[in-house]
Amino acid sequence: MKHLAGAVIAALMGSAAMAADPGVTDTEIRIGDVNIMTGPASFIGRAVSIGSKIAADEINAAGGVNGRKITIVTEDDGYIPARSFQALTKLLEVDEIFALNGTSGTANVLAMMPLIEENNLPTIVSTAPNELVYDPVRPSVFTLGASYSDAFYAQLKYIHENTQPENPVYGLIRQDDDFGLAVEHGYERAVKDFGVKDGGIVRFKKGTSNFAAEMIQMRAAGVNVLANGGIISGAANILSEARKLGMPLESAQVWSEDMPLSVNLAAQAGYDYYVGDYVALTGDDYDAFVEKAKQYVTADDIAAMNRYTLVTYAALHAMAEAMGQCGQDLTRACTVENLRKLKDFEVGGIMAPISFDNDKQLSGTAIAVYQLDAASKTFTRKTDFADY
Amino acid sequence: MDLFLLFVSTGLVIGASYGLIAMGFALVYKATGVVNFAHGELVMLTAYVAFSLTQAFDLSFIPLMLVTIPISMLIGLALERIFIRPMLGEPVFSIVMVTIGLAVILRGVTMMIWGPDPHNLTAGVTTRVIMIGHLPFYAAQLMSIAALAICTALAWAFLRFSRIGIAMRAVAAHETAALLVGISVKRIHAIAWALSAALAAVAGVLFAMNFKLAPDLWFQGLKSFPAVILGGLDAILGSAMAGLIIGLIENLSQGYIGQGLRETSGFIVIIVVLMVRPYGLFGDKDIERV
Repeated sequence: MKHLAGAVIAALMGSAAMAADPGVTDTEIRIGDVNIMTGPASFIGRAVSIGSKIAADEINAAGGVNGRKITIVTEDDGYIPARSFQALTKLLEVDEIFALNGTSGTANVLAMMPLIEENNLPTIVSTAPNELVYDPVRPSVFTLGASYSDAFYAQLKYIHENTQPENPVYGLIRQDDDFGLAVEHGYERAVKDFGVKDGGIVRFKKGTSNFAAEMIQMRAAGVNVLANGGIISGAANILSEARKLGMPLESAQVWSEDMPLSVNLAAQAGYDYYVGDYVALTGDDYDAFVEKAKQYVTADDIAAMNRYTLVTYAALHAMAEAMGQCGQDLTRACTVENLRKLKDFEVGGIMAPISFDNDKQLSGTAIAVYQLDAASKTFTRKTDFADY
Repeated sequence: MDLFLLFVSTGLVIGASYGLIAMGFALVYKATGVVNFAHGELVMLTAYVAFSLTQAFDLSFIPLMLVTIPISMLIGLALERIFIRPMLGEPVFSIVMVTIGLAVILRGVTMMIWGPDPHNLTAGVTTRVIMIGHLPFYAAQLMSIAALAICTALAWAFLRFSRIGIAMRAVAAHETAALLVGISVKRIHAIAWALSAALAAVAGVLFAMNFKLAPDLWFQGLKSFPAVILGGLDAILGSAMAGLIIGLIENLSQGYIGQGLRETSGFIVIIVVLMVRPYGLFGDKDIERV
């Protein structure tokens, strides 16, 4: 009788726990995605959604998470933090999501943080791996991705050790915001560690198109190794000015510059620039991923894929792994606990294995350096994934 | 000295873009008394129209402009007819608010049609570097400066010698008096919008050729506003000249002082001009501010 009562109480507690955590039924798990689906940065949001779709379809085709199919519920925030908060409120209260796997930009995820913490929402931040997200650590938040600082350090290290330009003078051009500051940290660390000449740091406002004066300053300083902190059109315009001024350059770039649309803009300047990224841009594993993706998304989606597709795909697989380890009694607390224990989780070689079992609940920090061939618009991998 | 000349030459390039955009602002203001806050968006929209034309028909620069300019004028006419004409007789403030609303609509429509991706726009123009003395230029940069010179000359001739240009000056001087002597004010307003859209097309295409085509191109309208204020809101030729001055100020301040001063120097000029000479360097003293 005692055993029976215990079993009944345990069963009631179990169902109460399940009832307490929304977004899970016997057949479905709803995962939220707050994303940039409109506005100038919506190509990122689309790529993120494609990554989620590929991962969800693949997991569902293999039987789901302990028999439950994953459903992705996407809300657009237009890259506006206030709208991110509204979007997550809607996902929590109307769609009743179980976890979150799309978090827009840094300011956006920070805007959503009170809701994430209040609901103990299992969350993987994969598109804004900023220090502000993982320091201080929030119990249910896991971050996937390297810092801009390490990405630039990795590239400058490669340039320093392998290309050895004559009379090297390093220079940095960067945005006057938190992102630019992170780039500057990597640059300063590199200049200090390698003992190279610092030609100077030039800061510019976000949205600047005309970099003529900045690049004239760089040329006057004799800069021939450039840490280019411009993004997309900005990065391309910086290289275009450098070309006009006849500057021989080894250029380190932000990882956004490995996206096809960025390459199309910047390759015109003719520089075989570098990028440091925590996802694979080339190789057998990347090719295998693309082949797999073709089973689940359209040709248009394949064309719109970029690095954000890969990182979001990896993040959803990590989330599914943590949920799967909970068995049938799937709760947010259990998922968070399992994410915290996740170690060396393989994601098909498209990035280094994922491990959140560290103080910062941070993974994917290993960076590979790639070099563009501007003529063919293709990248060659120059280093393995490594932490810097 | 080389450094100074480099700053000046590149300042003239961006200044030419500002000048072309500022002329469009001034043209509509001169004829209608309204600041068209959607002009930057018109610059963006017409550049995207040109981009589609190059994609569809692989047009080189001159044929491209010969097609884009009339299409842009039609767009300008349509916008005036649909959004501005019904507002005739309403307070200027209301019309200005309509142009602000129009700006938001145009941004949304552009994004909806062409998407968020930035593009290269070369229109068959060489991307080789051209040296003039020791100064390097891209062909499209020289074309911007040339386009400003040509548009300024055409605007001067139009306002000085053509019947419509003289009528436009009459409407600007006194709308009621112009009406009484038989000038169709509505027609003049429509023509001003069409010509302003033509200037927007020239400015937009050349800006996109020099600095890429992206959905944030509309922001150049705001960046050009210091030139409109410096030249004088109603001074079409003065705005062109002021564009060059603002471009030079921006580049020299960024080059010699730095610290992102390029982005603020133009607006410092606005404040100083409004305090010292509120009608601008070339504007009429009695213009009405909005």
